[in-house]
Amino acid sequence: MITTPYIEVKNLSLSLEGAEILKDVSFSLEKGKFLAIIGPNGAGKSSLLKCMGRLYRDFSGDISLDGRLVSLMKAKEIARKISWVHQSEPSFLSFTVREFAKMSRYPWQRSLGNETKEDVEIVDRALSVASVQHIADRELNTLSGGERQKALIAAALAQGTEILFLDEPTSFLDYKHQVETLELIKQINKEEKMTILLVTHDINLALHGADEILAIKLGKLRWKGDSNALLSNGVLESIFDTTFQSFTTEKQKFPYVAPKGMIF
Amino acid sequence: MVPVSVLTRAGKDSGLYNILWDLRVPRVLLGWAVGSTLAISGMIFQALFRNSLASPDMLGVSTGAACGAVLYIRMGFAFSVFNVIPGLSLFAFIGALIATSAIYIAGNIRRGGMSEATLLLAGIAMSFLFASINMIMQFGSGFVDSFRMMRWSMGGLQAVGYSDLYLMFPALIGIFLIAYIRAPELNLFVCGEDIAASRGVSVNSLKRLLFVVVSLVVGVAVSICGPIGFVGLMVPHICRKLVGTDHRRLTIASAIFGGTFLVLCDTASRTFWAPTEVPVGVLTSCLGSIFFLLLLLYGKK
Repeated sequence: MITTPYIEVKNLSLSLEGAEILKDVSFSLEKGKFLAIIGPNGAGKSSLLKCMGRLYRDFSGDISLDGRLVSLMKAKEIARKISWVHQSEPSFLSFTVREFAKMSRYPWQRSLGNETKEDVEIVDRALSVASVQHIADRELNTLSGGERQKALIAAALAQGTEILFLDEPTSFLDYKHQVETLELIKQINKEEKMTILLVTHDINLALHGADEILAIKLGKLRWKGDSNALLSNGVLESIFDTTFQSFTTEKQKFPYVAPKGMIF
Repeated sequence: MVPVSVLTRAGKDSGLYNILWDLRVPRVLLGWAVGSTLAISGMIFQALFRNSLASPDMLGVSTGAACGAVLYIRMGFAFSVFNVIPGLSLFAFIGALIATSAIYIAGNIRRGGMSEATLLLAGIAMSFLFASINMIMQFGSGFVDSFRMMRWSMGGLQAVGYSDLYLMFPALIGIFLIAYIRAPELNLFVCGEDIAASRGVSVNSLKRLLFVVVSLVVGVAVSICGPIGFVGLMVPHICRKLVGTDHRRLTIASAIFGGTFLVLCDTASRTFWAPTEVPVGVLTSCLGSIFFLLLLLYGKK
């Protein structure tokens, strides 16, 4: 019996204003996996995610979720499958953490319907999973970067989807919050059983968090494998065009990787 | 004190009865409907452009309408449609429609849907174009026509009878219902287009719908009353301070506050310099500009 993959991307290409952003990308992913998409700046990582969530519509090729083509799904139907944590952009978010999380119930609500008891329970649970209950009534724009990232993850959880997309979730965070955010994402993957797709240029985040890793460079799928394979000779160098050094400690499963140019 | 009999048919013979029911009441109702409509429209535009300084005035609706009105006066027309819609209003409305369709088309020609920056820039360019056409027509007009044109561009609520209300109230009800029903989408929209889209809002069709409906109802308001500046900018701002960012509450607050504000301004403009009547647009613009400057100086960053 041939089973269709949970998420499947076939021959995906994208051009924006005449520039080729993605060229013939194909891959598939099983349900419940944690996939990290790595690559240098401007490689097309975020664009890949945006095509899959249909925030970009003018792509060619087929993307399917659970056997259905996203190009045939309505915006609300996709929003019941995929939730997002976008790259943080400053905007006038004078909503509180709880209000913002409640707004994520939109794809499940009728246009003039009130929130149901179920909505309230799901939001409460999302806030507790992301441990942001203590700041639930604070406005998002008064939070620190780390707190805000957790609040945005809580809002994504409140959307009640099977798949979570994260775009550079740790890029602007300090070390403590990088660690906490990665722990939270792993926990969501393991305990909430959500399929995770995460875009990052941080090799260590991919190495220590993901089940599978995909490397994009100049719009093309350059490499696919797991953490072990990523560490084999020449792989990282060919993706990022610079040389790397690994640091191993006894306890860790995988080493910590840093570019040689940054080690003095 | 005004005698109670003025309110009833018993006083029908007195001039006061006629002044009240044929002039004052329709004027207050019209002022209220126009104020509410402009305020809700402003609220929607500020959400749509994610810019608290956006208002429908910016998108050439007013200058387009003025162009239509000026053309009507320049050509020396004097007619009304079915004795209900004055020709001047009709021309103003057509002018507003032409201006907004031009902007809509300009905003849609570029691929990837309507970008806010393109729309705003196209709106500003269109405003200047129409303003220059207005000036050419005014320049070539006689003294009387020229005065009428200028007077129109100051905006005013000269309601006689109820015919204007038949147009204005449906516009108000329409914009209120759309804002109220679409409030959850507006809430998501102000958080960012990506956030709205990833929560399942059809961003492009929402933008189109709101742009078209706001242009239409503001077109109706402007064609009846001339341009009345700053209500659409100021009222949603104050309401946001009072009730927060939730657009369902904000819609109700803008409707109440916008209507009340314009009626009060109109009463003031009618009585302060009585028997001379200062155009209400002058008063709202004056208050609005001061408010705007204070906002820039002391507003939250």
